[in-house]
Amino acid sequence: MALQIKRRRGGSGDEDIPMAPMIDCVFLLLIFFMVSAIMRIPPPFDVILPDSTTENEFPRKKYNLFISSDGKIAIDDQLMEDLEDMGLFIASHEHQISTLIIKADQRAQHGDVIDVVERAKARSNKIEGLEVAFAVAEDAD
Amino acid sequence: MQQLGEGKLSLMATRLRERKQPQLSMAPMIDCVFLLLIFFMVSTTFAPMPGIRVQLPPPGTPSKDKPKGLIVKIDSPTIRDQDGTMLLNEELVQYDDMYPRFLDAPEEQKSMLIIQAQRDVLHKQIVKVMDIAKNAGIEKIGFAVVARE
Repeated sequence: MALQIKRRRGGSGDEDIPMAPMIDCVFLLLIFFMVSAIMRIPPPFDVILPDSTTENEFPRKKYNLFISSDGKIAIDDQLMEDLEDMGLFIASHEHQISTLIIKADQRAQHGDVIDVVERAKARSNKIEGLEVAFAVAEDAD
Repeated sequence: MQQLGEGKLSLMATRLRERKQPQLSMAPMIDCVFLLLIFFMVSTTFAPMPGIRVQLPPPGTPSKDKPKGLIVKIDSPTIRDQDGTMLLNEELVQYDDMYPRFLDAPEEQKSMLIIQAQRDVLHKQIVKVMDIAKNAGIEKIGFAVVARE
């Protein structure tokens, strides 16, 4: 039985392109991007990350801890009053923080960074210890 | 009279049938969805962030025993915004010498690096030392702290 293929020569021009599959795909893509998107939240002060040649990489997460050159602390865009305030924030969001990402300015003092790390460690209830990552500049060679 | 009424009714029914069914216009919704899609596609970043991982010990009182490992002492910078003097196992060291000396260190010491720095040492100097240590294959890095009761 031969297949009959009908071919319309010179279409009338009023054929509809089926939109439904395209809309389905677009919606799927939209949901995927909405779920996986992590917004870049700028800190309330400028932070210049130190350069490094390290090959270590870690996924971007929410709740990044920023330390300014003059010792100010912020978690994402929320400025922390003091170390106690920061400790409380970390304790209350502990289940959402697997690795504490510290983005300290290259001119921040080591003492301020260690104060933050020690307070975070003391507030963390993780038995195996808190994992910390010091962020470095992305364009470093 | 009755025929006239029936005629009117049939005319109304025909008009109703002729009236077009209301259609939901999809174009504005697709426009919005496309705009949202473009926004999320542009703002989402999948590239991982570079950094140095440090596994801290569990909370508790710091050990008072002398640690077994390489100890880098960093003194306060004498000039503002400059690097402080560095000592590796009590010997003066520069960045260039640090990497070969980390590599040549005895195996039992190479397991851990302890950074003992003054409070006012710049974070970039600490990162530089950690960077050299990671490149030399030292995985464990610790920071010396003062135990306060």
